[in-house]
Amino acid sequence: MAKNTIKRKHYLLFIAGGLTAILFLALFKKTIHYTSSDKYCVSCHAHPEADASWKLSVHHNTRSGVSIKCVDCHLPPENQPVRYLVRKAYHGFHDIYVNTTQDVSKINWADKRTPEAAKRFVYEDGCKKCHTNLFPSTLNSLGAESHLKYLRNPESTSCIKCHQGIGHYRGEIGLTVTEEQETAPKEIFKEPAQVTKFVSFEEKIPETAVSFEMVAIPGGTFKMGSPANEPYRQINEGPVREVQLDSFWIAQVEVTWDEYLAFFNATSSQGRKEAEETDNDVDGISGATPPWGAPDQGWGKGTRPAITMSHHAAETYCRWLSSVTGKNYRLPTEAEWEYAARGGTSGPYFFGGSPKDYETDGILHKIFGPDTTVINSYVIYQENSPFKTQPPSKVKANPFGLKNMLGNVAEFCLDYYDPQVYAKYPKGVVKNPRGPRNGTEHVVRGGSYKNSAKDLRVAHRDFTHTIEWLQTDPQIPKSIWWYSDCKSVGFRVVCEYNPNAIQKEKNKNE
Amino acid sequence: MEKNQLSRRNFLEKTALIGAAGLAGISALSSCGKSKKAVDYVFPPLLDKAPDGKRLRAGLVGCGNRGTGAALNFLEAGNDLEIFALADVFEDKVDDCRNKLKKQKVEVPEANCFTGFDAYKKLLETDVDIVILATPPHFRPEMLDACVQAKKNVFMEKPACVDPVGARLIIASARKAENIGLTVITGTQRRHQRDYLETYKHIAAGEIGEITSAKAWWLQSHVWFRTREEGWSDMEYMIRNWNNFCWLCGDHILDTHVHNIDVINWFTGMHPEAAIGFGGRVHRLTGDQYDFFSVDFDYGNGIYSHSMTRQMDGCANTLGEMVMGTEGFTNCKNTIYNLDGTIRWQYEYPKNKDGKSTEVVKISPYVQEHIHLVTAIRTNTPVVEAERTAISTLTAIMGRTSAYTGQKVTWDEMMNSTMRLGPKEYKLGPVDMEFPVPVPGTQQKA
Repeated sequence: MAKNTIKRKHYLLFIAGGLTAILFLALFKKTIHYTSSDKYCVSCHAHPEADASWKLSVHHNTRSGVSIKCVDCHLPPENQPVRYLVRKAYHGFHDIYVNTTQDVSKINWADKRTPEAAKRFVYEDGCKKCHTNLFPSTLNSLGAESHLKYLRNPESTSCIKCHQGIGHYRGEIGLTVTEEQETAPKEIFKEPAQVTKFVSFEEKIPETAVSFEMVAIPGGTFKMGSPANEPYRQINEGPVREVQLDSFWIAQVEVTWDEYLAFFNATSSQGRKEAEETDNDVDGISGATPPWGAPDQGWGKGTRPAITMSHHAAETYCRWLSSVTGKNYRLPTEAEWEYAARGGTSGPYFFGGSPKDYETDGILHKIFGPDTTVINSYVIYQENSPFKTQPPSKVKANPFGLKNMLGNVAEFCLDYYDPQVYAKYPKGVVKNPRGPRNGTEHVVRGGSYKNSAKDLRVAHRDFTHTIEWLQTDPQIPKSIWWYSDCKSVGFRVVCEYNPNAIQKEKNKNE
Repeated sequence: MEKNQLSRRNFLEKTALIGAAGLAGISALSSCGKSKKAVDYVFPPLLDKAPDGKRLRAGLVGCGNRGTGAALNFLEAGNDLEIFALADVFEDKVDDCRNKLKKQKVEVPEANCFTGFDAYKKLLETDVDIVILATPPHFRPEMLDACVQAKKNVFMEKPACVDPVGARLIIASARKAENIGLTVITGTQRRHQRDYLETYKHIAAGEIGEITSAKAWWLQSHVWFRTREEGWSDMEYMIRNWNNFCWLCGDHILDTHVHNIDVINWFTGMHPEAAIGFGGRVHRLTGDQYDFFSVDFDYGNGIYSHSMTRQMDGCANTLGEMVMGTEGFTNCKNTIYNLDGTIRWQYEYPKNKDGKSTEVVKISPYVQEHIHLVTAIRTNTPVVEAERTAISTLTAIMGRTSAYTGQKVTWDEMMNSTMRLGPKEYKLGPVDMEFPVPVPGTQQKA
């Protein structure tokens, strides 16, 4: 008997529990329902005209009389219940927070009407819940192109990027996209850039469509080399010296294939001859021989840095560029390079962080991997390249506005290499230092797509390895124009600033 | 919507979804042998004649020889079929076609014959159920879209277009047609040829193992051309000689070779990711096109297809396709070989009275495609083939672009390319265009 009572009690307990659950769910559902109604949204939403502009829009004032509700666009579809509830809760708390902590009338609502901002509170799945047919038969060709593009890569665009103002009418027409303008054929430059004062300029290579940015670097003093306590520092980076430099221009990016091929096409010679004499005569520069294979390694040309040319070829390029532009182009001295790369900073990089933070050695980094967000945005290196050069558009510039000083490809400098050269500079503040008078190998600075964080440090020094870099060149004599075994070095040009010459040029023009 | 709807994986999945029709055909095979794989492909119903049903009226746009031929193929497909309207830019073409049809006892009312560049629009206003598009391919994308908007079923000739902009418009129109249940059959007739289809079933079921490479070729002597006659304007001359102008024809890598390319895309179930090719012009007398192309299509994962096409007299002339696999190879048409070259399987053609093979399929593929069209409409099982034909055409355009420019060209570049060939507006008269024959690369210094 007692057993039965217990059983009955249990039974009742179950029923009571079940009823409570049902009641709770019903109330919950009702609450959700109530707080998702237009009326509820409007009761709080203080931004002007949200309600009025929605009523005027094609999503309320429809031909068929179907009205689309606030939550249809501003919450994920209900058939994704978890996401729906999470986002609903988020928006609820967010709105309460903003309402209580900020003066709503001071919020700039117009700023939030951009496709980028709208991503935070307009749900594309909501659009697609109703708009299931992206190809209605009346769709025009622009719509067809845009929808195909969207299907191929939804991340690249969004519904409201083209269809703005369809949820809230503010007098705009529905479509913001216009037919793409035809790109005009590229202008062939007749004249090089005319420079009359010391500011950044765009150099134009005559008889080509190629141009590039030259950034004015005002002279100054800086500390060259790295202090003994810098992580991964090597002996050839010191002692640190105070260096003073005159003003100069330096190219914003490493010489691109577009630029280098302009030189190659204008000067290339028939083929390898006996060890060629290097002539310093500016007229009739005889340029590089045709390379074997694909010097770009099949990675693409265009704005990617030119690679595999020899130091000699890079210098010849500068002489050619000087002759066609009437200016004094050359490779940067090692001091100029480091001054430009530092951009006024004095740490291991021109951006924040220590090489230790970015290197993958050390147990913690091996397990979790380093946080590389910062370095990734400035440098193409081992971790993000992947194993090839990248166009300069992939990275941000240093404080002087220069890109890829520390990565993508390493860069030739004008000076011969001497590991102890800093100690050999004259005492005191060194003015416009140059490397040794003679030598066999030249300085190479800056890391490349192959290097890890420690070799990307501003003070890191390297040099040409001519014999190694020509190891597999099968011809005799080996090429003086192309390295067969070096894919990670390019160069950047410097234009000398001569105040007197510019003044003369200015006078002539006036 | 899922990402990359046009990627090949998706393309495969999609065909898998709607491929149930093909499964039945395969089950017979799998019982007799090694093939284990299910075949994901929508096979056309290989009827000898379309079923009877509602009377269907077709309008023909483009009244040249292929157009007239297509019209007659259509009439052969079943009962109660009618050519109801004709449209062409030129009056003499319409008249010619009308007379040829008259000889076959087919009368097209005078009131339903239209000429001019907008003739097709007038034709769409008549009471036709089907439109046959057989103009030069340049006009196809615009016309197909107009047909779909007018809710007409379509038979359209290959190639689908001449440029990437046109290819994307065809794909979009194909999607539109699918959405409203229209049928669009295309003139890549190998896909309606019984021997090819039967061979494909074996290959798709895994009979040559994994596909490793392919080649496709169309080597023939020179094709038709017209020299300019007095009184012809620039536009009239080009359209009458359309097969020799790239903006109208797309060059012969599209015009003829697209058949072979389509077979390779079909058998591999993919489209290439990139192409590197070359070509040149040696003997041609008119227009701006090449005499030959050789293109290496990269299908990814180490699979390549070599495409060759040539229109030149006095050279080796042959055409066909080959697909190589890990366990054998096939000519795609009717024979599967073991790796040692011995024959593994052969298509059995109908026999003549003496019991010898006729070596032709029972129903001409040119008629079979119209049987498919009429059957799809009458049994309410719509089929849209335009997208896959656009993909094969874009494959050919990728090869052509690579040959014309000397560059490696990728599928992505093609899908994003804004290249559109031809004048902005169509009217008979002088045309301000230049026709340099493309020369890839640059001249070296002497």
